[in-house]
Amino acid sequence: MSIEPMKLFFKPIKEPIKTAMIGNYAVAGGVTQTDPDVICAFPITPQTQSVEGLSDVVHQGRLKAAFVNVESELAAMSYSTAACAAGARTFTATASQGYLLMAEALPMAVGWRVPLTMMISARAFNAPNLSIWNSWEYTLIDFGWNCIVSENVQETYDAAILSVMISEDSLFPTMFVHDGFIISHSVQQLTLIPDEVVLNLTPKKPRHHITPEHPGTWGGIVTPDYFMEGRLGLDIAKKPVLGQIEDVFKRFKKATGREYNSIESYNLDNPSKTAFITMGSVCGNIISWMTKNKDIGLIKMRTYRPFPYEELQKIVQEHDIEKLIILEKSDSLNNLLPPFATSIATALYPLGTLFRTFIVGLGGRDVTKDEFDVAKKKMQSITDMKGQLYQYLGVRETKNKMHGVDI
Amino acid sequence: MLTPEQVKNILKENCINLRFHARGGQGGVTASNLCVEAFYGYGVCQPRFGAERMGSPTESYVRLSADYNLVRDNSAVYAPHFVSVLDPSLLTEVDVTAGVPHGGWLIVNTTMNQLEIQDIVKRKDLNIATIDATRIAFDILGRNITNTIILGALVRVSHLVTLDELADAILKRFKGAIAGKNVEAIKQAIEETCLYETGNDPDFSENTKVPYQQVSLGLPGYQELDIAGVWYCDEDVIEVGSDQVITGSWGEYDMIWDEEKCTDCAQCWFICPDFAILRKKGEDGLWHMSGIDTIHCKSCQNCLEICPVQAISKKLKQSPASCATPE
Repeated sequence: MSIEPMKLFFKPIKEPIKTAMIGNYAVAGGVTQTDPDVICAFPITPQTQSVEGLSDVVHQGRLKAAFVNVESELAAMSYSTAACAAGARTFTATASQGYLLMAEALPMAVGWRVPLTMMISARAFNAPNLSIWNSWEYTLIDFGWNCIVSENVQETYDAAILSVMISEDSLFPTMFVHDGFIISHSVQQLTLIPDEVVLNLTPKKPRHHITPEHPGTWGGIVTPDYFMEGRLGLDIAKKPVLGQIEDVFKRFKKATGREYNSIESYNLDNPSKTAFITMGSVCGNIISWMTKNKDIGLIKMRTYRPFPYEELQKIVQEHDIEKLIILEKSDSLNNLLPPFATSIATALYPLGTLFRTFIVGLGGRDVTKDEFDVAKKKMQSITDMKGQLYQYLGVRETKNKMHGVDI
Repeated sequence: MLTPEQVKNILKENCINLRFHARGGQGGVTASNLCVEAFYGYGVCQPRFGAERMGSPTESYVRLSADYNLVRDNSAVYAPHFVSVLDPSLLTEVDVTAGVPHGGWLIVNTTMNQLEIQDIVKRKDLNIATIDATRIAFDILGRNITNTIILGALVRVSHLVTLDELADAILKRFKGAIAGKNVEAIKQAIEETCLYETGNDPDFSENTKVPYQQVSLGLPGYQELDIAGVWYCDEDVIEVGSDQVITGSWGEYDMIWDEEKCTDCAQCWFICPDFAILRKKGEDGLWHMSGIDTIHCKSCQNCLEICPVQAISKKLKQSPASCATPE
């Protein structure tokens, strides 16, 4: 290669380095520093460079890991789960249709309690047309993976390291998500963490794994006499995970100075008692817009799964929020609300907070101040929870007419 | 014993439950299907779902009533008023009387008498009917299929369906000569069924299900199971491995090995799917056949077919009929 985007990571990183990278290579760098034993993924736009970057560092000899090529995402997830169950620190990555193709193998990583990590470059799934651009396909299926969402390149680099910590602490697989192209292919500034700090944050701890010294059947069939016991066991094991994630954020802050929380809030004590709630790259758009719109707040969800509903309730109550504007980059043709909004609505149910959901940015449609302005304005006249609770925003109805917006 | 008129009256406001215990391949599900097909009112039949194999214990359930809403329950039958056991070896392997109310009927294909059966199931409050269905099956059908024959005994004690109704259902379902032979076998079964009555009838309005039977209390709970659902071989958490399954009870025959004829060619040892051919290392340093592991031999008869010198033969497990307690 004439250009070596991963060059920074060919050598040990001894002190914090300020640099600029695209999201995918930044993730590849972060993963490199966590010293994975197995990397196994199938390429799909817009995830590809993250795995390409890792192949570079493995090829250079910087990283001693098995780099495994497979024939599909289903194979990638099956292989990664098994490798992780065998005791290897394992990384995989995917997007869109690849995530859907993995679906069959996704639950077992949870059931086997393997600390697998996966990067997702969020991309639309195909219907009615193929789209390689950003939507939130990862919200569509949920088998119990932990999920944290990043706004920018710095966050997604950090998330590569945070995810390993969260996985190892909770013994549940963790996916970390950035928006496809918007972050995966954007060059942004970030500060790299020294290798030693990363290794201290992500020690390889002993855990249950497949071994000939302790033979057993993994994933064997059980009759109705045992299945519910297994499911309840998993549900109970999931309960402490949110606390473990907060603990990981605290340790990360102590080591790097960068502070993260499951839910982050901006300007909630505003006169309109209204706030946006969303996650991912669009949070940055809103924060910029908010510099000139000081009468509205923002709740940014970083931890999407497990859903921190108690903390969300606490924040809404403490700041006396009366109205929430949910922005979501996925839709549901059947349900009353799309998936992200469904989680929020469930959390808000005992509080009776008013909300509306605006479906924006599907298939790479940009989300700008226009949408924020309209959503804010529409919300001002909302006084009850009657009628349809969601609407698409930023869609043409005819050549000259917007859907649901007067221009 | 109830009269046909009493049964009809009971069915108007109650659901009568039946449970069939059989081994895979014996036709327990077909028997329960036939009950429903022959019954004049509403009936549902369901098997206990699973990956049943030839010879493994199976269950199937029947609900019969004149009231449609009473048979809409889709759960298994936990409180059967009539239990039919197609294979006597199941009496010790399965809790065949679980949930049966006082005065319920236990119908068994056996040559044992009713007092022996009382001892095995440890209940004296049940009416018991016995029938040597295996012999009738060999006599009339020429093979050991006892499902229709047990229905003959059921007709005799329950009056849920009449012989004519059952014969109709059989003629609809079976083809050719075998249909007529089955009807003939049922007729003989009705005559030969031995009854042992306690003088009580079950209370059909009461549900005597063992509480939470479906939860199988006694097995390890989620706190005791492995966090990743792994069944470790060296722990006593869940019984593992095929050698824990007593496949020996699944078979119809005992396999008999003739030491005189055996040439130690070991072809049976290779073909046996259950490692039930036993071998020992002799003083000459060579392996010699030493017998058959009857706990795991499920009488697939592969060894019998492959043996080049006819050193293996078979014998039906059930002994010929002895006298049962007369009516």
